[in-house]
Amino acid sequence: MDEFLARALDLAQVEGAGYADIRVVRTSQERYGVRNGVVDTVSFDESFGFGVRVLVDGYWGFASSHDLTHSEVDRVTNLAVQIGRASARLGGDRVNLGPPVASRGTYTTPIDVDPFTVAPEEKLSLLMEADGLMGGVKGVRSRQGNLIFIREEKTFANTEGALTEQTIYEAGGGVQVTAAGHGEVQRRSYPQSPGRQQGCAGWEYVMAMALPSHAERVASEAVALLTADQCPSDKVTTVIIGGAQLALQVHESCGHAVELDRVLGAEAAFAGTSFLTPEKLGGFRYASEHVNITADSIRLPGLGAFGWDDEGVPAQSTPIVRSGEFTGYLMSRETASKLGMTSNGCMRAASWNRIPLVRMTNVSLEPGDWTLDDLIADTDDGIYMEMNRSWSIDDRRYNFQFGTEMGREIKKGNLGRMLRNCTYTGITPEFWNSCDAVCDADHWDIWGVPHCGKGQPGQLGHTGHGAAPARFRNVRVGVLR
Amino acid sequence: MIGREACEAVLQCALEIGDSRDGGWDTEAYLVVQNLGLTRFAANMIHQNVSHGNAQLHIRAVEGHRQGRSTTNDLSESGVAKAVQSARHNALLMPEDPHFHGLASPDAPSQVPTFDVATAEFSPASRANAVALACGKAASLGLESSGFCRSGVQETAVMSTNGARAYHASTFAGFLITVMSGNSAGWSKGGSWRVSEVDAGALADEAIAKAVDGQDPRAIEPGEYTVVLDSYAVDDLLNALSRYGMGAQTVQEGRSWMNGILDTQAMSPLVSIWDDGTDMAGWPTPFDAEGVPRRKTHIVQDGMLKTPVHNSYTAGKEGVASTGHQFSSGGGPLAANLFMAAGKDPLEQMIASTRLGLYITRFHYIRLVQNRGCVVTGMTRDGTFLIEEGRVSHPVKDLRFTQSFVDALANVEAVGSERKLCLNEVGFATCVPALKITGFNFTGVTV
Repeated sequence: MDEFLARALDLAQVEGAGYADIRVVRTSQERYGVRNGVVDTVSFDESFGFGVRVLVDGYWGFASSHDLTHSEVDRVTNLAVQIGRASARLGGDRVNLGPPVASRGTYTTPIDVDPFTVAPEEKLSLLMEADGLMGGVKGVRSRQGNLIFIREEKTFANTEGALTEQTIYEAGGGVQVTAAGHGEVQRRSYPQSPGRQQGCAGWEYVMAMALPSHAERVASEAVALLTADQCPSDKVTTVIIGGAQLALQVHESCGHAVELDRVLGAEAAFAGTSFLTPEKLGGFRYASEHVNITADSIRLPGLGAFGWDDEGVPAQSTPIVRSGEFTGYLMSRETASKLGMTSNGCMRAASWNRIPLVRMTNVSLEPGDWTLDDLIADTDDGIYMEMNRSWSIDDRRYNFQFGTEMGREIKKGNLGRMLRNCTYTGITPEFWNSCDAVCDADHWDIWGVPHCGKGQPGQLGHTGHGAAPARFRNVRVGVLR
Repeated sequence: MIGREACEAVLQCALEIGDSRDGGWDTEAYLVVQNLGLTRFAANMIHQNVSHGNAQLHIRAVEGHRQGRSTTNDLSESGVAKAVQSARHNALLMPEDPHFHGLASPDAPSQVPTFDVATAEFSPASRANAVALACGKAASLGLESSGFCRSGVQETAVMSTNGARAYHASTFAGFLITVMSGNSAGWSKGGSWRVSEVDAGALADEAIAKAVDGQDPRAIEPGEYTVVLDSYAVDDLLNALSRYGMGAQTVQEGRSWMNGILDTQAMSPLVSIWDDGTDMAGWPTPFDAEGVPRRKTHIVQDGMLKTPVHNSYTAGKEGVASTGHQFSSGGGPLAANLFMAAGKDPLEQMIASTRLGLYITRFHYIRLVQNRGCVVTGMTRDGTFLIEEGRVSHPVKDLRFTQSFVDALANVEAVGSERKLCLNEVGFATCVPALKITGFNFTGVTV
């Protein structure tokens, strides 16, 4: 492998690249799915290839291939240099990567049980048991369960002396029920929606989910939602948002908004830009004093945990919001240097044939000091909402609208009737500034978002988000046609 | 690109490996080979520039009512053998599925000649020239442009022990641009299987005009408005309807917006929507991942809801023929070559006939709120204008809508006389006109 890596890096420099890196990645994936009592997916997938990224006169080129022969690495490296030269045609600022990165070492996700050693029969048995329990609930229209296990073996090297080898494990699973009737379609999921909860972990992570133990409950709730009362229409009230839903709120309204490449316009034509422009760094009240948000690539089992990012920058932790003040971005080497800073290790590629982009790692709302029971007891009138059903946010990450699978009325400090079709909408800083309580570490989990779209051609990123239930005042709910 | 012979050799290898092992098995091999060049620009300069190549072989092994799958990009004989073995192993883990009746045994698909040498050979330097032309236009007016120019080749091939045998090579090209001033944006995109039909300069002019006209937008109150949707917004609308319920699996599971309104006049008689994978006006994909020819399928005809699209599994459940819409190696069927019938009104006439309304370039981040009626929420983006007394009076700040798309298509008042091909992800295209719709519900405004 060393010879293969060196061949690309040497050739790139001979051909005129001022900087080059190469990633060789083998991804193995097992997927299992049960749908309505039938095993509809048992799939083993493998993908192996490499990508060469170069800077020629300060302009980027990238090429990739699934053929790991010497002749192909020569062709691909030459093509990357040729593409870099084409990039230079338009001119503009030359890329400055800042200080060199020469990381060396190995990293493997710490796991108890390698999920690839567990028999497929055991995995299917788990799903079939959950499916049977969901199917036993009268009124369920369709049900599904799935498991996924990923092993990514990645070697990175650059012309500055970096050489890292990593093996990242991911495990995930979940169940989902759809009920239909009374002119309604309602869905419930466990542990996370849509589809599953996922983390950097081993088989033990899936076992801890205890999918069958929750199957009957989510099925019953989906059916009950068909005849539940409608969420109050277009009302301004207090909401307490459950951890799984709040994780996505953090992802959409904070995580994407602090990606420095999109702040600087790199995603303007697709995902959009951000309202958190550089002059706001260190001097903008993003949220109330109860809100602390951190980006880290260390905390397990977050999907943003690794040893080094795809530029060889070590895993680390960055305060994004401290006591409500906006304090940090997610950065690459290139974008950080534009602000006179150094990378905090957020460059991640979805595959060997994609360039790394600034991506979320684990962007988490830090725990507060409330218990959920106390928070509800402290709320005179409001709605508790949990588990995401829909999400939409504008291209500057400002105006958002979320829907949740289930709501519960809160009256005089008690949870009351179930509510269906709950939605809430707001403007990001107004919403976060209305937060007056966050639940404590006992209520805090790291939730996985394994389907974060970004870039052209598209990449699906895997991100983690720690969150506990939190309370927000004066929120507009019940926006429906 | 590896060519028909090489593709067929890989598939034949998979079938022979399958055949040489234990008897009683059927095997299907589906190969997708893609080479993509994509030049991305922002702030009038190229900031990402890539070449991707990959070949993915999908194996389905079938024994009776059981099927297993595997995927690999190792096309060596040992790699293929491992994938076949893996798929068989997976099939043996499955309980019998009484609704699965084996591999499709399709007719040969029609040949659709959508391979263009000039597009296949479009180089990084050519892409840079197209980008330079567009960026130069924007920069000369003090505007910032961003977007991409892409080109490439995709080969798909299917072979099975049940007689499927299909190969198709197609080129693709696309140009997308957002032009921004300090407080406005304009957008356009074009795509074709022939790069000569993608005019980067004209697309830049279109986006620049909207960015210039859109400067200094005013906020308006949310509420119900008549809207004139540009073709790009209609593309977004049709994509959402496809994703949220034009496939038979979603109907069979009760999750589709079609449930309960099939065979009814749920939309305006002005609305006809069909899927056709062989129409050269789209981006043709003449057969699906099972090798089944894509049949022209009328989904909505003169406002009457006719049928969702099928793969062989969903079709088998209902005792009908597959329409050839298995989009990839797994998952349900998907309508991906969509057409909407043109009407008789030019865009200008639709605006001229509107007393008070909004002219909308495109939508952003559409997500399902309620399945029934396909109630969705999303934002307007990159050029939203107020129409007063038959003319565009001024730009407005972007609005959030929460609206049933089924109701929207029931409230169509006029259909544009020209259609635009919108090539989205490779293999997913719509060919759509502009629409005028009454009573479109806006529920918020951005700051």
